Amino acid sequence: MVLIEVDGVDKSFPSRHGSMSIMSDISFDVADSDFLALVGPSGCGKSTLLRLIQGLDHPTGGEIRFRGTPVREVCHEMAMVFQNFALYPWLTVKQNVALGLEARHIPLEKIEVQVERYISVTGLVGFEEAYPRELSGGMRQRVGLARALAVEPAVLLMDEPFSALDPLTAESLREEVLQLWRDPQLPPEAVVLVTHNIEEALVMADRIIVLSRRPGRVLAGVPVNLPRPRDRKSPGFYELTDYVYSLITEGAAPTVPIGAGPLKSAS
Amino acid sequence: MAILGALLVPLAAIGLGGQVGSVWAEIPQAGWDLSQSFVRMLIAYLLSLGFSLLYGYYASTHRTGERVLIPVLDILQSVPILGFFPIVIVVFVDATPNSWVGPNIAAIFLIFTSMAWNMVFGVYESLKSLPSDLREASDSFGVTGGQRIRKVLLPATVNRLVYNSVLSWTAGWYFLVAAEIIAPSVHGIGGFLLLAATQNNLDALLAGILLLVVLIAALDIFVWRPLYRWAEKYRYDTTPSGDQEMVPGGPRRAPFRRAAGYVYRGVVTGVTRLSTPVVGFAISATPQRLRHRSPGRSRVARTIVLGAILVVVWLLLITLIVAIFGVFSHPIAPPVRAQILLLPAALGASFVRLIFAYLLSLAIALGLAIYLVQSPRAYRLGLPVVEIVASVPATALFPLFVFALVAFIGPSRGGFEIASILLLMTGMLWYLFFNLLSGLRGVPPDLKEAALSLGLRRWQYYRRLVLPAIFPAFVTGSITAFGGGWNALILAEYLRYGPRTFSVLGVGQLIDLGNNEANGAPLMAAALLTMVFTVIAVNEVLWKPLYRRAADRYRID
Repeated sequence: MVLIEVDGVDKSFPSRHGSMSIMSDISFDVADSDFLALVGPSGCGKSTLLRLIQGLDHPTGGEIRFRGTPVREVCHEMAMVFQNFALYPWLTVKQNVALGLEARHIPLEKIEVQVERYISVTGLVGFEEAYPRELSGGMRQRVGLARALAVEPAVLLMDEPFSALDPLTAESLREEVLQLWRDPQLPPEAVVLVTHNIEEALVMADRIIVLSRRPGRVLAGVPVNLPRPRDRKSPGFYELTDYVYSLITEGAAPTVPIGAGPLKSAS
Repeated sequence: MAILGALLVPLAAIGLGGQVGSVWAEIPQAGWDLSQSFVRMLIAYLLSLGFSLLYGYYASTHRTGERVLIPVLDILQSVPILGFFPIVIVVFVDATPNSWVGPNIAAIFLIFTSMAWNMVFGVYESLKSLPSDLREASDSFGVTGGQRIRKVLLPATVNRLVYNSVLSWTAGWYFLVAAEIIAPSVHGIGGFLLLAATQNNLDALLAGILLLVVLIAALDIFVWRPLYRWAEKYRYDTTPSGDQEMVPGGPRRAPFRRAAGYVYRGVVTGVTRLSTPVVGFAISATPQRLRHRSPGRSRVARTIVLGAILVVVWLLLITLIVAIFGVFSHPIAPPVRAQILLLPAALGASFVRLIFAYLLSLAIALGLAIYLVQSPRAYRLGLPVVEIVASVPATALFPLFVFALVAFIGPSRGGFEIASILLLMTGMLWYLFFNLLSGLRGVPPDLKEAALSLGLRRWQYYRRLVLPAIFPAFVTGSITAFGGGWNALILAEYLRYGPRTFSVLGVGQLIDLGNNEANGAPLMAAALLTMVFTVIAVNEVLWKPLYRRAADRYRID
């Protein structure tokens, strides 16, 4: 079933010389049980696109639909994980995780249960009363993740969630996110991950939407049919990495690589 | 340009009233008086400049000098300067042969005290933070003596010195006008405004204020901004300047916002450094039993003990003053004695007035700041207007306010009370406003976005995000507002204009009365002491704990 439809979306910002186009004519779908990665060079508008999807910002043209309904205001069936965590320094870990639930007017007892569950799922037990300032980067992003998961969203939006972490921490957190994703007991139904790290996209996602330099356009939708857990040293992984890399650097789609399956591009 | 544009607004308003001609007629006299004020400012500034270079250099290079000079400066900085002005006048008038020299020196001295401390800290801190590799490089190339001062030390201080000079001038204008109002024998714009109010001459009042604003705006545009740009090249970028505000909207800060920042720094460092020995003393004086308890209770106990100690010391000192005057001078006149006994009630009245003025200012400042921040259009159009209004030294508005209020309400007790609170507000409002504004502008965009994404609604949005995020700005704004308020008390509780006297019971009033009445010296000393002690006590009991909390919980990094 299709959850999100991005349909011919344009976005431009007013600038000194009229308006500056950030992205133009972007179209793709996100179905349930999709793990989708948006990949592109910096400045291609991929983070903006993620905000358009949740309704934090509005497209200049085109439309975004969630379960068939146009997204006109902030959609509360999605939750976002931020690049720099966006934790509230004056709230404890527990209060940060509870924030989205409070906003939804859920009874207090239920909030308690929910918060406890996602704190334990993300490995934060023992840190409930800590303040974000007292945590390492990796632990902070766990809080960000717990806060997003706690509202049990249909779609989890992740905006470069590992890029503010050191490589080792990022790697282990990636693994944990994939484990959570595999757990059928846990939300979400779909994940949209924004990253500029091609390898990260190939390790995590089932499908990659490759965006061009500004103004961002969809260069290709690349399915990743490699077996999980993904082996970065396998020839297939190398090939696909090279392919996506050449797409971004050359700005056009070359031949279809072997083993990548048919291209599912802009609809 | 925005400033010039905004200047046209009051002009246009006057024009609509058909008064341009009569206001214009007052300009020459106002200009003559203002030029005298300006000369006073310039002398005080040059003195401050020399003083700050010597004091800052000595304090930063000599260890013993540092240990004595910096705490002394901190105490001087956290004390309401204006309270001391009457004493200063008495001293200088007594010490000088004629009635022109004494008050003038006193006025320049007062302006100097409002300018110098901040500049000394500028020199001291920039010399202290001079990167050691620069120092070592000059040593290794054998740069010494005069060359060392010209090539290394002076350039290192230029950036901060220019920056702090702007703040000093803003503070200076405020105290200059106050000094000229308190001592009208000093000819200047303050006396001009007071005289205009005395003679019910609205045209002259407007002309004086307008001219003052034009001069301040012109100085900002033609002197400080070019200087500021020039001083930029003396910044070493390896250490980001602590004065740069991390808010969108560029590096240019309105003079008043800078002034607020300066007063805040001064008050806060003053409070923290000054209070360390005081608290240390209080703790060592605390019975052992009270000391080791849960942190919350021990803090409460500490605060109570500290408050009690301050009250006892205050009573002792007042008794001492009264005793000393009784022994060495003439016996204290019964009316003066009665007024000294009024001190607790006066303190209470001043306190209530300050709190009223504070709450009203807070409501206005918060409302205005939220309104301006909510739409970019309102911000772009509204801020220059607010900046112009705020650039008028609040003391210059006092005569206008008293004039208007007494005209409207009449010289009743209630009317005086309202006038007094309004006057206090002019001394408090802008500190709160500019601090809250920069706090609101500084709410991190990613936290706003997260709030939106999580679906926080209006009240939750304010409770969870906005209020905590602006808490540090609120605390510094409050500290500086009260600093301004205590100073404003001197003018806001007692103002003699012509044959009339505007007066309400308060500490500020008693200080002024002590100054004006025969044999009033003990009253003035006791009232001044009361005020200084209250300021220190409030800092200790209220602001310091709040500031600590703001710095550790509500800091955004």
